[in-house]
Amino acid sequence: MTCKVGIPRALLYYKYFPMWRAFLEKLGAEIVVSENTNQKLISQGASLVVSDTCLPVKVFIGHVLSLSDKCDKLLIPVVRSTAEKVYNCSRFLALPDLAKAVVPGVPPILEIEFDYSRGTGYLYRQIYSLGKNFTLNPFKIKEAAEYAWETHRRYHDITVQHHLTRIEAIDLLHNDKMLEIKESKNDGLTIGIAGHPYVLHDEQVSHNLIKRLRADGITVLTPEMAPEAPDSNGNGHTQFAGLAKNYWESEEDVVGAGDYYTRIKVDGIIGIMAFACGPDSMMMNLVQRQARSANIPFMSLTVEEHTAEAGVVTRLEAFLDMIHRAKRRNEQCV
Amino acid sequence: MRITFPHIGNAYIAVKAMLDPLGVDYVVPPKCNKRTLSLATKYSPEGVCIPFKLNLGNMIEAVELGADHILNVTGHGTCRMGYYFKVQEQILRDMGYDVTMMLTGLSEHKLRGFLNLLRSVSNNAPWTKIISSFAFGIAKMTALDDIEIMANNMRAIEKVKGTATPIYRKGLQAIDDAADYRSLKEVVKECGEKLSEIEIIPDYKPLKILVVGEIYVVLDPFANMDVELELGKLGVITNRSLYLSRWVKKGLFFNPLGIDQWRDVHKAAMPYLKRDIGGDGWETVGEKVISSGHYDGMVHLAPFTCMPEGTAQCIMPSTREDLPVLAIYCDEQTSKAGMLTRLEAFTDMILMKKTGCLSR
Repeated sequence: MTCKVGIPRALLYYKYFPMWRAFLEKLGAEIVVSENTNQKLISQGASLVVSDTCLPVKVFIGHVLSLSDKCDKLLIPVVRSTAEKVYNCSRFLALPDLAKAVVPGVPPILEIEFDYSRGTGYLYRQIYSLGKNFTLNPFKIKEAAEYAWETHRRYHDITVQHHLTRIEAIDLLHNDKMLEIKESKNDGLTIGIAGHPYVLHDEQVSHNLIKRLRADGITVLTPEMAPEAPDSNGNGHTQFAGLAKNYWESEEDVVGAGDYYTRIKVDGIIGIMAFACGPDSMMMNLVQRQARSANIPFMSLTVEEHTAEAGVVTRLEAFLDMIHRAKRRNEQCV
Repeated sequence: MRITFPHIGNAYIAVKAMLDPLGVDYVVPPKCNKRTLSLATKYSPEGVCIPFKLNLGNMIEAVELGADHILNVTGHGTCRMGYYFKVQEQILRDMGYDVTMMLTGLSEHKLRGFLNLLRSVSNNAPWTKIISSFAFGIAKMTALDDIEIMANNMRAIEKVKGTATPIYRKGLQAIDDAADYRSLKEVVKECGEKLSEIEIIPDYKPLKILVVGEIYVVLDPFANMDVELELGKLGVITNRSLYLSRWVKKGLFFNPLGIDQWRDVHKAAMPYLKRDIGGDGWETVGEKVISSGHYDGMVHLAPFTCMPEGTAQCIMPSTREDLPVLAIYCDEQTSKAGMLTRLEAFTDMILMKKTGCLSR
């Protein structure tokens, strides 16, 4: 009997899901992904943790809860660092322990810790200890890991090349066919969105922000579409340019993207952040200051479980009207 | 060049002792007050934690007094603290203040980084002078913690409430004024004698409560609304997991030698939290586990939206070791009356649990 491995559709899912799926399927596991986020799931998750936990973690706990009776094991990787002295947010490091502590009846958790700072030997041991749950043959695990890495690179490449969102790229990889992105009337506005993939691409959490913008004929840029700018050593691994050392691994989505948008002079930037997000509370402020100094309109959108859709829509409309009006006025002046 | 540094509890007394002998031109920001807080809230990002805000408030008030160089610590890790300086510098620049941050990475450079920082502000004074002034600062830090521990113990059992606190405050001032080791020793001795002479309630067995949490709010009485003082007034002896002098001594001297003062705490936390999550989250969970049975209760202090402490708070109820925990979030909205009510209810509850009745 194949082992059913559950993967919550939250947090790191958006960044690493193709990699995890490739690895586990190669080892003969069956993957169960939780349903799309919905309001019930959010409120169930929120009821299990203390109230000042950030929204993405509440959503994550909701997903874990919905998976708890559908799978034999649950995959919750811990990504501590992916570059020298750049760590991930504190909340990510405690996810398996948090799930174990607060979710009643949680299935056994498969953990793997990625920690670049501890060297490759540690990484290999971690991969092996994860693979050991499915096969004892180290060569098979190595093969699966290499395949997974290759899939991850491909996932990354097609996202940048075709200007796809994470969700579209995951679908594309899964179905092996090109999605048809509806190109409606394009009135030439480009809006960059700075924010984490788990906020931005979760349609329930972001209230369909991307779809709404696209329906208005706006070209939407999301952080994953930004090409990697070379860092000072010439390694193409950081999107931070001009702004300090990178501090949090997951903040490239915010500061790196904000930096990219200001460099290519988009018409407006929307910063979407979750309430009580620790890193964002500081980083979004930096992006805002940067946008202000470059004279680019910036809207900060904070979402939480009580955010009303109507409120988001009104603010979005007002923001777009403002940009349109400014653009028209500039054209008349010229 | 005029130096300043943000406050954390009474540490400014120790920092002053380090800077004075080196002849540095410095300004101590006014102690945290309402104005600091409102300035801080006005210019900080709204979702950021209280240590950031109060630090920024201190910096603004010090810059108004003519400071242009700010001593600060940084680090790398998962908590926001390591990135404070960058955002604070940006905010101060946008406010039109031209300041320079003088930084040392606590986690990577340890003692050497701190001494180098002292050297750079002192216009390259000789190393002997730097080391002796640093040692004197540490001695003052230790003295501060000594009299605080004594005062906390007496406050719970004194017969006339409010006797110990003025003696403690006078002691703080005297430590600040002490110019050499001998007068410092005398001051501590004198303060200790005065405290031990206080008339106590006979046959009174006070409750023991451990105060844990994020370092800044645990150490700073303004941020935590004098939680230890208030608990003392309720007749409770408090102890802390963190005292600045111990933290500095162990962090700067012993950790580089491979001695980890938290090893037992981390080991205790292992079944519930397997890795360091930054800040003091791992320690908080461990403290709960090992304090069970030794203390009657625990007060968990955390800044609002603190990532590691929030996680710790979610995990703590699931530990097998039982210990009543009261979580208090500190931010600019926290009201003293609300906190007092909660402290009273909490002490009443653990007293009832312990004795079966409310009378003392």
